[in-house]
Amino acid sequence: MTENKHLSEQESLRLITTMIEKARGSYHDTGIGALLWGSVVSVASILTYLQQVYHFRIGFDIWLVVLLAIIPQIVISIREKKQVKARKYEDDALNAVWLIFGISIFALNAYQQIVPGQTRTIIHAEGWEMMKHYTDGSKPDEILLPFAPSIYSFYIMLYAFPTLVTGIVKKFKPMIVGGVLTYGCFILSLYTRAEYDWLLGGFAAIVCWLIPGIILRRKYLLQKQANV
Amino acid sequence: MFKELDPILHSQLRLAVVSLLIGLKEAEFTFIREKTNATAGNLSVQLQKLKDAGYIEVIKQFKDNYPQTTCRITPQGIAAFEAYVNDLQSYLQTGK
Repeated sequence: MTENKHLSEQESLRLITTMIEKARGSYHDTGIGALLWGSVVSVASILTYLQQVYHFRIGFDIWLVVLLAIIPQIVISIREKKQVKARKYEDDALNAVWLIFGISIFALNAYQQIVPGQTRTIIHAEGWEMMKHYTDGSKPDEILLPFAPSIYSFYIMLYAFPTLVTGIVKKFKPMIVGGVLTYGCFILSLYTRAEYDWLLGGFAAIVCWLIPGIILRRKYLLQKQANV
Repeated sequence: MFKELDPILHSQLRLAVVSLLIGLKEAEFTFIREKTNATAGNLSVQLQKLKDAGYIEVIKQFKDNYPQTTCRITPQGIAAFEAYVNDLQSYLQTGK
């Protein structure tokens, strides 16, 4: 491209359009983050469902693996940040959305861990207890420990939020579809038994992250191949 | 009619650079060079002209012990680009 080439008005407009298009398609997400989270969350959810339905234990909490996945995610993020040669305006906003999503997941987990214990302390202090009462009288009443019922529905709802935002902002259809389907899973999970919520959560992780991650990875590799 | 167009922007490479930066928050020198297919020397000169006009900001820093030049469009550059596109549109409408 030379500096002093005389431009007609049509050539100027064509050049502007071309460069804006080049900026728009400048790079694709590597898809590794989506693949990572899509895999670990779907495997953990489905395995939790299987353990609850078929009454077996794998010997450790599978969700610890999900927690540990933060480490490769940090490594991936640092590496990707180094490789990126141009940043779009929406990148910072979307990074903030995903960061707040992560914080919200931790906050919900804290709620799940803390609230039942706190509720128990409060009701004990007030001098009453929650009881499980069998309406047919087949078993005697049992003391019921407070718990957050069907809480995985809230996780499913949270999964949809950043996915749909990303899909809409980036005009990336697989994530829009994934987000919408996940909201559908959330609604469905309101009517299902808690163990099926895990299965719905596994499906949500597949449509939100795993499938879009595979598509993103393929696009990224094709772009990389084209640039070689 | 073309004399009314901003002379800083009415140059192939400078217009390409500003059109590229308008859709980005910031871009590295190597990225701009790759997208515009310009030579490093020519691009440096044109970036300096855009910087002198206040249309872009050029940040020079070190990344992993290597010099890194990053460019971003300024509010003045955005206004100039918008005015340029509007002028271009009026020119095209007059020409119809």
